[in-house]
Amino acid sequence: MRRTYLGEFEEIVLLMVAILDGDAYGVTVSQEIEQHTGRQVTFGTVHNTLIRLEEKGFVTSLLGGSTAERGGRRKRLFKVTALGSRALQDIQQLRNELWQLLPPNTLKLGGS
Amino acid sequence: MKAPQFSNRPPRWAQRLLAWLHPSETLEEVEGDLDELYTYWHRRAGKTEATMRYVLNVVSVLPPFVRRRQRKEAHQTPSNFHPAMLRSYFKIAFRHLIKNRVYSFINIGGLALGMACCLLISLYVYDELSYDRFNTHYEHIYRLVEKQQQPGGIYDVAATPGPLAATLTKDFPDVQQVTRVGRWSGLLSQGRRSVESNQMLVVDPGFFRMFSYRLLVGNPLTVFRAPDEVIFSEAMAERFFGANWRQQNVLGQSFKLNNEKMLMLVGVAENPPVQSHIEFDVLLPFKWLERNDEWSMKWNSNSYHTYVQLKPDPSGEPADPAAFADKVRHQLKRYDVGNETPLLLQPLSEIYLYSKFAFETDHGRRSDIAYIRIFVTVGLIVLLIAVINFINLATARASQRAREVGVRKSVGAQRGSLVTQFLGEALLMTVLAVAVSLALAQLLLPLFNDLANKNLEIPYPLPVFWLTLAGFTAFVSLLTGLYPAFFLSSFRPIRVLKVGVAGHFSNVKAGRGFRQTLVIGQFVLSIALAISTIVIYRQLSYMQNTKLGFDQSQLLYVRLKGDLRGKSQPLKREVEQLPGVEQVSTATSNLVNMNNSSKIEWEGQVPKDEFLITNMNVDADFVKTVGMSLAAGRNFSARITSDTLSTLGAYLINETAAKRMGWTPVSAVGKRVKFWGTDGTIVGVVKDFHFRPLHVGIEPFIFRFRPKEFYFTLLVKTKPGLVARTLTDITQVYKKIDPDHPISYGFVDQDLDAQYRSEQRIGRIILCFAILTILVSCLGLFGLTAFTAEQRTKEIGVRKVLGASVASIVALLSKDFLKLVLIALLIASPLAWYAMNYWLESFVYRIEMQWWIFALAAVLALGIALLTVSYQSVKAALMNPVKSLRSE
Repeated sequence: MRRTYLGEFEEIVLLMVAILDGDAYGVTVSQEIEQHTGRQVTFGTVHNTLIRLEEKGFVTSLLGGSTAERGGRRKRLFKVTALGSRALQDIQQLRNELWQLLPPNTLKLGGS
Repeated sequence: MKAPQFSNRPPRWAQRLLAWLHPSETLEEVEGDLDELYTYWHRRAGKTEATMRYVLNVVSVLPPFVRRRQRKEAHQTPSNFHPAMLRSYFKIAFRHLIKNRVYSFINIGGLALGMACCLLISLYVYDELSYDRFNTHYEHIYRLVEKQQQPGGIYDVAATPGPLAATLTKDFPDVQQVTRVGRWSGLLSQGRRSVESNQMLVVDPGFFRMFSYRLLVGNPLTVFRAPDEVIFSEAMAERFFGANWRQQNVLGQSFKLNNEKMLMLVGVAENPPVQSHIEFDVLLPFKWLERNDEWSMKWNSNSYHTYVQLKPDPSGEPADPAAFADKVRHQLKRYDVGNETPLLLQPLSEIYLYSKFAFETDHGRRSDIAYIRIFVTVGLIVLLIAVINFINLATARASQRAREVGVRKSVGAQRGSLVTQFLGEALLMTVLAVAVSLALAQLLLPLFNDLANKNLEIPYPLPVFWLTLAGFTAFVSLLTGLYPAFFLSSFRPIRVLKVGVAGHFSNVKAGRGFRQTLVIGQFVLSIALAISTIVIYRQLSYMQNTKLGFDQSQLLYVRLKGDLRGKSQPLKREVEQLPGVEQVSTATSNLVNMNNSSKIEWEGQVPKDEFLITNMNVDADFVKTVGMSLAAGRNFSARITSDTLSTLGAYLINETAAKRMGWTPVSAVGKRVKFWGTDGTIVGVVKDFHFRPLHVGIEPFIFRFRPKEFYFTLLVKTKPGLVARTLTDITQVYKKIDPDHPISYGFVDQDLDAQYRSEQRIGRIILCFAILTILVSCLGLFGLTAFTAEQRTKEIGVRKVLGASVASIVALLSKDFLKLVLIALLIASPLAWYAMNYWLESFVYRIEMQWWIFALAAVLALGIALLTVSYQSVKAALMNPVKSLRSE
């Protein structure tokens, strides 16, 4: 079985879209990433990643929800697709399996 | 916009930068998102920081950093090949076809004409190139030819000595088999029935194994083992036994050859295919020739074709002929000491098209590669002109389509789909044109066959033919469709719709330049062909009207056969008595293309100074019969004993011969020469005459008076107006004197004409194509003028209202096109001059290319162009201005 490769940042963005649950768009996603990871990311990075995720079929988007503070412009709202959530679960499961295989003392010795 | 928010706005220049450079697909959402973020940063960190971060983030969404979103969900463009779109394309295409009937006719008709030409020419070329391919061993067969060093130059000779063949199989393991082919002639008879063979060949038994000529009756493995055998072709068998020869038991029947030798029929061969360079109706075994003509076994018997079939290399591919050619090169020297003549290999595939051999050593069906080259060139020219027409008219008509393109673009058509549409339309037109051209080609085929002297058919059942046709269609539609497709699809919808068609087109100067170039190209080709036609016809008529140095009119010749050759005097005397006969002479040739030349020795000859002199035997009446005149000395006379002696010779030479031997005509008389081993005296010098085609200059010639030797021809000068009656009289006399042989006769002037048959054919072909190209070019010109006149309807209306005369308007419209034709003339003249000069160089006697030929072509081209243009321009000029100006 061959999974579509998900990069580290892609995974974070995808997770954020899932967390935001229907309220995910460029602004919210970049704000959340900044708050939760403390990373300073440019808007372009987030924008590009969202487009790439959509091309890979992990998220879908539609235009809507124009507000006065953005000058009446519509925003693009993102939602995780079935494929997207499947990918997240797969990653989660793989991580869990790998954690299970970890000998009990290794991490303590190496990571302390 | 509210005032308090104003200070919270991000910098304008950054916003503009964003709007300008960010991909339009995502501009709205990104602008909104960044505005929102700016407000957020402004609230949290103040104006300076917010501005800084805004600018940074704007840069991060500019190319090349930003990823472009693929547009797909909002409005999906239907595929170009969606049924509804296809239907629309077809409907529009057909509506245009029908709406512009004249243009469609010109377009499709012109293209169809061009393609029909091309089709016929490809048929011809294909046919010519597939000669001898019916032979299974096609790629393995070669003919051995010689390069002879003779006084006066090196000559290619297709003949080889009889004993050569046997040495090849003995000396070279690479040789699979050999066969010799020689020419013979004679009368075959059985009882009272006799038939004269036209193409009698002498061949080795290997002939049927090497070439794929089939035996309908008889065993190809056993025939020609014995010397006294004969094989008929189907046609010969029919002539001899009647159409039902298959029902008769023909094998084993005996025939007499020339009333002496008995031969047994051992087989009947299928008629040699049309595409065979070898032609025969009767075959004799080479063994028979060796028994009856010992000379054929000698090394100086240089008169037979020798064919070899090489063994294929181990993989089955044809062996490398170069290696064998090296080995066989000096084969003659090996056996015939002192014979330095090298042998060369001529592949079977080249015999038909590339055989140019001296001394008439080559026989059978031949053509010339030059024909193919001319045909292909001319065919491509015609096609090119037709395609140019198509492109020209299509671009000219583009104005009509500009609105359509504008509307299609504004409702979402992309360039790709427009290109597809117009390419598709070109394809549709081409398919129609191909259909018409097929019908046209079928219709013109008999005419073309006549012109090209062929029996061609359109190979409908051949898949290759349809594939080629399909490929050709695709190619032409691409060629014709590309320019309009890209030109039309480049229109900007707003300009086309807002400014209007005229406004848009007034700017498209490039299109006009392009069209003009194409018109010039067309006329260059047409005018060049027209000039060539005039030159070729001038040369032909020059050759027909040149004084040859003798009078060929009303000169009849009768071939002497069998015993008559030695005893021609009774026939001559009887013919002389006929009322319609003026003068009769016996000779060895009929004066047409004489080639029989040998060396001569003369009084005062410097050693090593050699030349070849052409000769013929005549009698004392010859000079009078053919109307030659003497420059010095006297004619032969039967009453002077020294003339008729067989041990001494009396000779007449021509002026060129006298000059070559260093004498004037007067001083030559009485000089002693030795020719063919006979010493003799020159008794007279005749004025120079042409005994070979006008391609070559006049060479030395010698007449011999040998009344006791063979004569082959009876030359009869008839009285004017009595030719038909005299002919029947002669036939009766001939039948009485020689009842065994049917009479063969001919007219010298006709035979002389026939020498230029290939030139005449080229002339006719080029004439046809010149007419065709001019026709097609004018079709195009007609369409273009119509278009310009239509474009300038309003302008003409205004001019007329302001008082312009009809003549000035006609001049206005015609001037532009005539200028193009003039330019074309300037380009075409040197081109045609160069090509025709090259052609004329193949004749020693040729016309000068005078200026009036070019002037005539110019007047012709301008006249035709003017006629074409004036129809439309006069029509436009006569139009009532009220009509053209009323509607806006």
